[in-house]
Amino acid sequence: MNSTELLDQFILEARECLEQIGQRLLEVERAPDDKALLNDLFRQVHTLKGNCGLFDFKPLERVVHAGEDLLDRVRNGTLAYNAGIADALLEAMDYTGELIDLIAKEGNVPAAADTRAQALAAALRQHLSPAGVAAAVAPAAAAAASAASAPVPVPEPEPDWLKALPAAVRQPGRVALRYRPEAECFFKGEDPWHLARQTPGLQHLQAAPQQAWAAPEVFDCYRCNLLLTLVSDAPQAYVEEHFRYVPEQVELHLLQAPPAAAPAAAPAAVVDDAVGELMRGRIVRIWDEQRALLGRPGIAAGTVAATHTTFNHLLACWADTTAASSARRALAGLAPGATPLAGWAVQYHPAAASTGDLPSPSAIVAPLEPRRGSTPAVADEAGAGANGQKVLRVSQDKIDRLMDLIGEMVVAKNALPYLAQRAEDVFNQRELAREIKTQYSVINRIAEDMQHAIMQVRMLPVGTVFQRFGRLVRDISKKLGKDVSLVIEGEDTEADKNVIESLADPLIHILRNSLDHGIELPAVRLAAGKPAQGTLRVAARQEGDRVILDISDDGAGVHTGRVRAKAVERGLIPADRADSLTEHEAVQLVFLPGFSTAEAISDLSGRGVGMDVVRNAVERVNGTVELSSTPGQGTKIRLTLPLSMAVTNVMMIETAGRRFGVPMDLIVETVRVPAEDIHHFKRAQTVVLRGRIVPLRALNELLALDMPPRLNADAEHAVLVVRLGAETIGLLVDDFHGTSDIILKPLEGVLTGITGFAGTALMGDGSVLMILNPKELV
Amino acid sequence: MPIRYLKKHAALEGQVSADDAEALGQWLRDQNAPVVHLGKCDQVHSAVLQVLMALRPRVSAPPADPWLAEALNAAAA
Repeated sequence: MNSTELLDQFILEARECLEQIGQRLLEVERAPDDKALLNDLFRQVHTLKGNCGLFDFKPLERVVHAGEDLLDRVRNGTLAYNAGIADALLEAMDYTGELIDLIAKEGNVPAAADTRAQALAAALRQHLSPAGVAAAVAPAAAAAASAASAPVPVPEPEPDWLKALPAAVRQPGRVALRYRPEAECFFKGEDPWHLARQTPGLQHLQAAPQQAWAAPEVFDCYRCNLLLTLVSDAPQAYVEEHFRYVPEQVELHLLQAPPAAAPAAAPAAVVDDAVGELMRGRIVRIWDEQRALLGRPGIAAGTVAATHTTFNHLLACWADTTAASSARRALAGLAPGATPLAGWAVQYHPAAASTGDLPSPSAIVAPLEPRRGSTPAVADEAGAGANGQKVLRVSQDKIDRLMDLIGEMVVAKNALPYLAQRAEDVFNQRELAREIKTQYSVINRIAEDMQHAIMQVRMLPVGTVFQRFGRLVRDISKKLGKDVSLVIEGEDTEADKNVIESLADPLIHILRNSLDHGIELPAVRLAAGKPAQGTLRVAARQEGDRVILDISDDGAGVHTGRVRAKAVERGLIPADRADSLTEHEAVQLVFLPGFSTAEAISDLSGRGVGMDVVRNAVERVNGTVELSSTPGQGTKIRLTLPLSMAVTNVMMIETAGRRFGVPMDLIVETVRVPAEDIHHFKRAQTVVLRGRIVPLRALNELLALDMPPRLNADAEHAVLVVRLGAETIGLLVDDFHGTSDIILKPLEGVLTGITGFAGTALMGDGSVLMILNPKELV
Repeated sequence: MPIRYLKKHAALEGQVSADDAEALGQWLRDQNAPVVHLGKCDQVHSAVLQVLMALRPRVSAPPADPWLAEALNAAAA
């Protein structure tokens, strides 16, 4: 992975992290006592900081680091989460987002960014100071807190090596540590002595040989034979952190209050049952750990010796002394090397052999048994990997390419029926034609499955757009002095990525409108007999092949009188027409371009780019917007969107000898109407269908084709009834053909301006089908 | 040069790295009664430390680092 790829990955992950952080921040604000949430938030920030550390983005790291410190304090309960902290964190997060965008664009952070970063970091750290005496003690306090929250400390038997320490340094609360470096450690660039020297809070340090020094002639200075014992007064977590690279080579022991007199004597005999149970559980655990250690390939002699010692100590802790002594005798008589010791460990296993009354260990032992001698650690990891869900990151380009390919596949597949037809008609090969058709149905099925599968890849839960809303509503309602709660439902509903993405802006527009115009100030709401807190509800659900989004508020609703007045004032409709509109129609006026009722232009709304933008954006993805409003009770906006827009199902029709496609989702029905049933009124034609009057238009006329609609043998017109918004209209065509799945290609170049056509599609026989856009035609 | 091998003693100065351990060991073995001067020694690598601990030369001047001095004392005892 080269550095640009790494950077791309970083940016991708950082954005993801930020999104999560933003969401968590809001959730935490709602439930500040939820430890799990706080931990998750902290982990996200921590990940982000860690990622920043990979690159030299100082300003970025500075801000994130400050945020992490602050959150750490909150998490440990030393600092109460409040709105001030939330604001500071959100601001810092926004800035981090900006920086990430900058990095994505320029690959680097401008030097100027650092001043702002410092200011933000300072603002964050400001929250740190009042609670703690000095920021420096915070991490220590955190470590202490984590140590305190650990399960009740049961005195562990003091290992023998502690006795070698001078009594003066064995003070309670200190951490004693024995560090047994591997023999080969020098070749790994380790310097155990130096590492030990640098231990935080070092109080005592002594070095001894692991085994007696060899004779000078055979002494190998590059095989480490040091055994370092040290005592530190730093918190255990710090010491652990210091030795984090060599955890398997150190033994830590937290010194207890009085150096327990002969703790190894017979602990199980004197402690009560519960402790005894715990003790045995631990013995079994340590035993198994030692066995796992022995099972490693290429184990060093020193490690074998160490496990040998450990087993010896464990034996001393056994409750069953007779079994222990027999095991000890067997241990003493053992041949050197890892294999006999491992065998012995199985034979004299505390759970299996002597102390058979142990409650839990069988569960621990069982999985260990089959992979003895292999590498348990590796096996563990592999197991975990298989269980966890695997996620693959794929760039959208690749998915789009797949999408295009499957599109071409669909088109190519559609050529087969033509081929079958030709085999039959031209070559009189009926048998062959039938076989081609059979093959076609197989390929058709596979292609459809493939298409479906790729669609699934592109599906995103609509919740991804909703995530930003929490923040938006919070900020805007705060700014406006309104109290609003956002309720989100059905965020799992899935739709195509493009559809989801095209939704984001219109939805934000709608939310802003609701917050600005819809929901009233708390005082006004109370006066109207409503709860002070307004509710903004965003609900998503799937209905057939459409996704329905309802955005409703319990605000004042649309003031139709003002809407009419404004529309007339802005010259959008004539005054006499405004008065004749029904309430429902008047509400729809807000969709007119250039409409705005706001008196002053605020940064929220009122710039005249309002609902018409929303409607355009939604219609661009073949969606529809409906608005309904009840004065005093609220407004409801319903967006209906297609699940996917990659493949369009069209119906082919014929008129004036040409073929055209009409998008299937617009078609209500196809009917044959006898010519005499058509009513003529002046130039308009209508027909009564199922008790409803449907206006008729001749498609030839609309397309400026100079031919009258053709009648079939029974003197009937072919009428294609399409839905345009809330109305239905009948199009007179010559004939209907079947339906087909096509990949709609928008018109390009000089043709872009022709709105009567939605685009073109390549058919299976190689011909080009023009797809009509009835909305524009009629 | 972190180690200067003089007629009467070897002087370890500054930071003595792992690379010097072998030569030091060899020198200590060659001498009848080796003496090392650690007065100006700031830091030794573990490999050097174990050479000093294993071959136990007489220390004419103890190092400034108390931990190192103590470790060597313990080994000499």
